[in-house]
Amino acid sequence: MNAPLHSGLEHWLSAPDDTPAPDWLLEQRRAARVRVSAQPLPHSKEEAWRYTSLKGLLEQDFSAIDEPLDALQAEDLDAVLIAGLDAHRVVLVNGRFAPELSTLDALPAGVRIGGLRDWLDRDPESLRGQLDTARGESGAFFALLNTAGLDDGLVLWLERGTLLERPVELIHLSVELDEPRVAHPRHLVYLEAGAQATLIERYVSLGASLYCTNAVVEVLLGRDAVLKHERLQMESRNAFHLTSLYLVQDANSRYVGVNIGLGARWARTDLNTRFRGEQAECLLHGLYLAGDGQLLDYHLDVEHAVPNCRSEEQFKGLLTGAGRAVFDGRVLVAKHAQKSDAAMSNRNLMLSEQAEIDTKPQLEIYADDVKCSHGTTVGQIEPEMLFYLRSRGIDAARAQRMLCLGFAAEILDQLGAEAVREQVAEAVAQRLG
Amino acid sequence: MLSVTGLRATVGDKEILKGLDLKVGPGEIHAIMGPNGSGKSTLSHVLSGRDGYTVTAGSVLFEGQDLLTLEPEVRAQLGLFLAFQYPVELPGVNNTYFLKAALNSLRKARGEPELDAVSFLRLIKEKLKILHLDDSLLKRAVNAGFSGGEKKRNEIFQMALLEPKLAILDETDSGLDIDALRVVAEGVNALRSPERSMIVVTHYQRLLDYIQPDYVHVLARGRIIRSGGKELALELEEKGYGWIDAELAA
Repeated sequence: MNAPLHSGLEHWLSAPDDTPAPDWLLEQRRAARVRVSAQPLPHSKEEAWRYTSLKGLLEQDFSAIDEPLDALQAEDLDAVLIAGLDAHRVVLVNGRFAPELSTLDALPAGVRIGGLRDWLDRDPESLRGQLDTARGESGAFFALLNTAGLDDGLVLWLERGTLLERPVELIHLSVELDEPRVAHPRHLVYLEAGAQATLIERYVSLGASLYCTNAVVEVLLGRDAVLKHERLQMESRNAFHLTSLYLVQDANSRYVGVNIGLGARWARTDLNTRFRGEQAECLLHGLYLAGDGQLLDYHLDVEHAVPNCRSEEQFKGLLTGAGRAVFDGRVLVAKHAQKSDAAMSNRNLMLSEQAEIDTKPQLEIYADDVKCSHGTTVGQIEPEMLFYLRSRGIDAARAQRMLCLGFAAEILDQLGAEAVREQVAEAVAQRLG
Repeated sequence: MLSVTGLRATVGDKEILKGLDLKVGPGEIHAIMGPNGSGKSTLSHVLSGRDGYTVTAGSVLFEGQDLLTLEPEVRAQLGLFLAFQYPVELPGVNNTYFLKAALNSLRKARGEPELDAVSFLRLIKEKLKILHLDDSLLKRAVNAGFSGGEKKRNEIFQMALLEPKLAILDETDSGLDIDALRVVAEGVNALRSPERSMIVVTHYQRLLDYIQPDYVHVLARGRIIRSGGKELALELEEKGYGWIDAELAA
């Protein structure tokens, strides 16, 4: 018997036995389902959900996708490709790996990339002890739901010392089906000691589709490993999007994350990072643009569990129309995590009177020899800056766009590939009208 | 070219310009000198269309057009240029991108085609030479982290690029050491032409050693109280501004 799910979520999971999975994974899925059923729905009295209502999400009555969508042609993909981006490409359509749309030839030795479902079919034991471990004991509601519904996604695995030069591009493409559907993609990125890679994770759609993505990304970085991780949430403006990232870093590893949030009607992103070895570094950059009818909600949970690690969290927001955003950032420094270095900032540019930002950076420090700071700003475009541009003949609307892009540049510059940077800048400019 | 008649302007409740008259013909350089608080910067700002000023009386005609009803960008498109006393830093806004956007906005307004990237770069390198500026400046954000001298040179560089009909230099000499002043003045002089007029607003006479004006006006308490040739500037240098109070009291 399956434990009943909450009202509004009844159809979020398909029957648990229709995925090829080893027993240990079926057990993990079952346990997650039991746990999520026993837990109350997230509600506004919980600090983590204070500003974000589930009402709109529950009203949609999303149902799990049971059949893979194989009608998609390579031409359909053209609409969402980034011209000039040279990458190993993995395409998921509605959460299901689409090998015919992916280009995974010419992989160097030591690099394994594939669909999670295939992998579980062929070599399930290799994932035991890796898959669903970074999440730890977390009882985060939607990550549990993802675990209960886990069936496909990306696996990116680099063996010890492997340097992958070309980036890996993960395209998560959603297409509207007969009824509103939810996908639970699960991605596992595992860089063994000394490996280095760049992952560009993109959430896109065809047209103004209505759907829900409930993704979980697990990243395990071995000793000295380096991951550049660019995440572009550019879902349909009708879509709902949830992502939980779980990052675990071993000693001397380096993670550079860039989180761009432009799409979706309602998006919730949880970034959970934990240092497991000393001298590791974690940089989390973010840029979000929320306009009319949009809510973009970010939660950062950065845990300095061991000494001598460094983290930097820098998020910037542009808010237009009646757009809303939430930034809830928390850095925890454990008692013995001496010499921790953490700097968190959240800066917001409000472009309208109706826009709303709830920002709450917090430091929770139990060690006594640390360097930690946080800061937040909420401001408007400086009239002097606008006048300066206009005095040079540039019209007011364009001047405002230029200043917004200037504000965003610090984050956009972190995007490694020029083609990606330009596409995102263009998308931001377009949204600014 | 420019005709200002009976201009009165207030900031909040305070009247700053109190019936100012000024006529600038093509190719002429007019220096406007005056003590602090006389209304020099207000005049620059009102002419260029900055917010925060209310014109209560008078008119400003630029080549026959009523300037005061126009948006700042339209004034620029007509050929007006303000070199800022305090050039604004625009973090994240790339200088090249900014210059190109500005130049092409003006060209578009004049019905000329936009410049392609190659012609634009060629033009810009030519103009950089006039101000002895390094082209590393192009890769930086507009004025961000520039020294005072670099900011002022960047203003005149923009003027060289945008080729206005009328340039207003608002205290361009302030904060410059003598070497920087000389470079800026050389740049300005290189841009003198029979079609280009300039209004040089300054507190001190020393800028006028390098940029020779055709006319000098003394602005005090919101009005031009004396006009003359460049010898008036020397007289001011000698006597200071103290005599004004006496004269106005008389």
